[in-house]
Amino acid sequence: MATADRWTHLYKVLSKSGPFSDPDWVPGDETIKSLEESKILVIGAGGLGCEILKNLALSGFKDIHVIDMDTIDISNLNRQFLFRQSDIGKPKAEVAAAFVEKRVKGVKITPYVGKIQDKDEGYYMQFKIVVCGLDSIEARRWINSTLVGMVDMDNPESLKPLIDGGTEGFKGQARVILPSLTSCIECQLDMHAPRPAVPLCTIATIPRQPQHCIEWAHQIAWQDKRKDDAFDSDDMEHIGWVYNAALERSKEFNIPGVTFQMAQGVVKNIIPAIASTNAVIAAATTSEALKIATSCNPFLENYMMYAGEEGVYTYTFEAEKKSDCPVCGNLARKLTVNGDFTLEEFIEMLGERPEAQLKKPSLRTEEKTLYQRFPPQLEEQTRANLKLKLRDLLTSGQEVAVSDPAYTIDFRFQLVFA
Amino acid sequence: MLKIWSMKQQQQQAENAEGAAGKKKKKVTAAQLRVQRDLQELTLGNTMKMAFPDKDDILNFTLTIEPDEGMYKGGSFVFTFAVNQNFPHDPPKVKCTQKIYHPNIDLEGNVCLNILREDWKPVLNLNAVIVGMQFLFLEPNASDPLNKEAAEDLRQNRDMFKRNIRASMGGGSVRGVQFDKVLR
Amino acid sequence: MASDFPQTQVGPSSKERKYDRQLRLWAASGQQALEESRVLLVNSDGPWGDKSTGVSGVVGVETLKNLVLPGIGGFTIVDPAVVTEPDLGVNFFLEDESLGKSRAEETCRLLKELNPDVEGSFYSKTIAEILKEEPDFVSQYRLVLLSGPIKHSSLQSLCSAAKTPGVPVLYTRSVGFYSAFSLQLPAVFPIVETHPDPESTQDLRLLNPWPELAEAEASISNLDSLDDHHHGHVPYVLLLLHYLETWKKTHNGNLPLNYKEKTEFRDLVRSSARTNNPQGGEENYDEAVAAVLKSLNPFSLRSSTREIFELDECKNLTASSPEFWVIASAVSEFYEQHKVLPLPGSLPDMKAQSADYVSLQNIYKTKARKDIADVTKIIRRTESQLGRSVEIPEKDIEVFCKNASHIQVIRGRDIPQVDGDAQTQKRIRTELNNDESLIPIFIAFQVLDIVVTGIQEGKYPEGSLDDEAVWSSELDRILGALASDNSPPIDDDARDRILEAARELRRTEGGEIHNISSLTGGLVAQESLKVITRQYVPLDNTCIFNGIRSSSAMYNL
Repeated sequence: MATADRWTHLYKVLSKSGPFSDPDWVPGDETIKSLEESKILVIGAGGLGCEILKNLALSGFKDIHVIDMDTIDISNLNRQFLFRQSDIGKPKAEVAAAFVEKRVKGVKITPYVGKIQDKDEGYYMQFKIVVCGLDSIEARRWINSTLVGMVDMDNPESLKPLIDGGTEGFKGQARVILPSLTSCIECQLDMHAPRPAVPLCTIATIPRQPQHCIEWAHQIAWQDKRKDDAFDSDDMEHIGWVYNAALERSKEFNIPGVTFQMAQGVVKNIIPAIASTNAVIAAATTSEALKIATSCNPFLENYMMYAGEEGVYTYTFEAEKKSDCPVCGNLARKLTVNGDFTLEEFIEMLGERPEAQLKKPSLRTEEKTLYQRFPPQLEEQTRANLKLKLRDLLTSGQEVAVSDPAYTIDFRFQLVFA
Repeated sequence: MLKIWSMKQQQQQAENAEGAAGKKKKKVTAAQLRVQRDLQELTLGNTMKMAFPDKDDILNFTLTIEPDEGMYKGGSFVFTFAVNQNFPHDPPKVKCTQKIYHPNIDLEGNVCLNILREDWKPVLNLNAVIVGMQFLFLEPNASDPLNKEAAEDLRQNRDMFKRNIRASMGGGSVRGVQFDKVLR
Repeated sequence: MASDFPQTQVGPSSKERKYDRQLRLWAASGQQALEESRVLLVNSDGPWGDKSTGVSGVVGVETLKNLVLPGIGGFTIVDPAVVTEPDLGVNFFLEDESLGKSRAEETCRLLKELNPDVEGSFYSKTIAEILKEEPDFVSQYRLVLLSGPIKHSSLQSLCSAAKTPGVPVLYTRSVGFYSAFSLQLPAVFPIVETHPDPESTQDLRLLNPWPELAEAEASISNLDSLDDHHHGHVPYVLLLLHYLETWKKTHNGNLPLNYKEKTEFRDLVRSSARTNNPQGGEENYDEAVAAVLKSLNPFSLRSSTREIFELDECKNLTASSPEFWVIASAVSEFYEQHKVLPLPGSLPDMKAQSADYVSLQNIYKTKARKDIADVTKIIRRTESQLGRSVEIPEKDIEVFCKNASHIQVIRGRDIPQVDGDAQTQKRIRTELNNDESLIPIFIAFQVLDIVVTGIQEGKYPEGSLDDEAVWSSELDRILGALASDNSPPIDDDARDRILEAARELRRTEGGEIHNISSLTGGLVAQESLKVITRQYVPLDNTCIFNGIRSSSAMYNL
């Protein structure tokens, strides 16, 4: 009774349909039960992650996992509200999980301190939904291609909705990706502006801005003077050294404006971050998670941009799936072959397949270059593989990626030995 | 989606148990795939050679440029290419392994080429980079130098600059700086 | 200049380290304003009938979280409610041990844990009781947050208590997948640091260079005879000035002003670049070509700035006029004299040798300082004419001059009501003709306010929160009021859209969903920060969020 009472408000939207919920949806106990059984993964326990964990726990999810490799830093405390001064230096995932578990009774949060790349498909397969609160494009691309790669057309359960959030100052975005069905992170890569860079020669010879002096100290002076120390942007002594070197250079060129804060910002590529923007974007992602997990209302299709400098501005649109996307444009096809075929025979077979007559393919697995037609040095190094049997080159079920100059898109095959 | 899930649930649990026991199977990464394609589309000519210390790692290799014309004719210049997993969002990192006398390459081997930094775009490919590198040896650019002294020489006295190149390529010193021998 | 180059390494203090990521947005001045402010949260106003404790107040608490973390000076929570089981399912700043205790006290305690720099206090009673004992209670706060729905009389009395001392009010409601909030600002709310896009603030004065800038242009009259290196490093600002002189010689002394002339001028610049080099062109010329259409525009005053100069507050200064108006009036006078605003003085980065760039930059900075000095002179004269005893600090004059082109003044309005003034009604009627508008959600919230008022005043039973007949009749009453005054009646489609929105609100019987309240708390905190720091541009005046479609809209009601 106490439980039902506690979730009074949430259970109302799960037990009663609204004007916009799917007419076929059956609200009630089954919906609630399925929500509680939905295992959900949160990637990142930082500014977005702390909010996401709180929101999911208060949205009725009972089995939450969280991955983060970072430890808590003093500069996190202005927004990562699950952490205190005394937590500095501890792993974010563990502290965040313990806090939310203690505050919201009945929720289980399993932390993993480490990289997302440590885990394999078997691990990601256990979740129904993945929610990302990351600051790295590389990590986003990795989880995206992993989830796209997991899609098995014969098994709808292998499709894991990916909900991604990101912020920068007063701006942010939230997006819903249904791997292989809708536009993916790789399709949308050009929406991430590349980090603006200054020509190296400007830094080396004609600095004009305080930032140029800092880049010089960081990239050229450090290499010159402290080659043997690995530069660590979290080491205050290192930042201090760069700051002083930059200051000296700025005096030499009469360029005002070098400050310690700026030095730190340039060297660490610091993005401004505040609690309120994180709250908005995190809640946008978890609201979608609740809608996807329960069907209580339609979910976002598929991108929301947000900007808060001038009033409150949002723009919702459907990002397009790219047919030539290197990740979701061509999903891996299962191909049953004789493991005793040589690579050469296999290549011949590819040339005869009706869907893509690959005449001049280069092929590889994640760990091996099977055959690379160009440049000549690599062709020579991989030529011997042509005579080897497939089963000596790879294991059954492994993925082979094929590029052919006749096609602008690459192919992936999952080779299963007959 | 909920409907699909509830239908497939039990079947899936069985498959999961099976899958978890299986070996970790890694996908070819987007960066690897792109490099595989880029390599295949290179046009190297006879002044350039590539080498792969580990043939299975196509993200790390060296490029040797041996100009057959221009002021650097007769030299053999070796560059390392390091492509990270965020390629092609990030440009490849290129460094000269030898200490050479060149206005756009400093003594640490850093290379000043716009498309390696400020003008990099994901639509550019490795061939564009290699063409740019080759160009640096045909037409060293004095106007935006990394090695200020070399640039100064090129601007002030082209003949002396040429002499300095010869001396440096032979392993001699220029203005008190000893260079690596890079003659073929 | 000495202060431009600190002599010793000054590492950040631990406070600067803690707040580093936000100081990069609103700087030390914004942080100081934040730390000097106290915020009042009125988080509920008594139960709705016997079973419901009324508003859960999640938006209010989540908003405070987002203000406590960045280091607001202090907060006070007014909330007569006692913590119940449903509170624990929706409010993160309560725990099992809080059951049966004062919700004001418990939320205050758990929010204070977030930041030891912040003071927190609470009152476990209604705001009406407090106002009865202490009528000017609200004046000690910089901002009031009010969690609705709340009965009409309480809303009215709190809003008017805040209006007299000019304290802004944010009135929020979050129910099911919808939320809405409105901001009541003082009648005149000026902002100097609006943080516009840096591109839009670029002001190079190329068409009317002041003498020192023209002199710099003269220094490259030998442009054609420069060696390639120097030719390729002339800053593009000087290149444009140079070719403008060339242009004038062949165009009767006229500047290229229309689009056709500008493209011809651009061709002139482009064709003057040297191409007999390895790169086949020159970067500084590329930059000059790219800047022609953007930078060769006569100075024009933005209409919003012109309107500010026309306001009574600007034209009729008194001894007690706020600082903003004294400076605005002086800048307006400066504009009358020079037909331009004070120069902001910043110069974008461009291809150039270090020393050439720095000296060009100094020409811009020196001019900016001179303009500030001129404005300051006007201000000092005004101050003595008006008999003002305290001088406006130079720092404030400088900040104003740098931002002069994008200053804004918001005309504050009351928290909008459907049965309120004619302007609100007119805007709502217009919006109802647009079938994409979120205004139906706003009206549905208005009906909810009325139903809650009815319950609290004993007119309606508690069950009315999900009683279709009650909602429908209250809606018709509102629509009737909207349609009066010779305007056409509201059409059925619009009525249906409002009823749909109302159905979504009725679905949770006034209850909050944590995600939507947390998101709304983020938006409300952001507006609070803008109001308190007087930086960036706050909402004017109503925002509606639709969590079903993940969309929002702003309306000036």
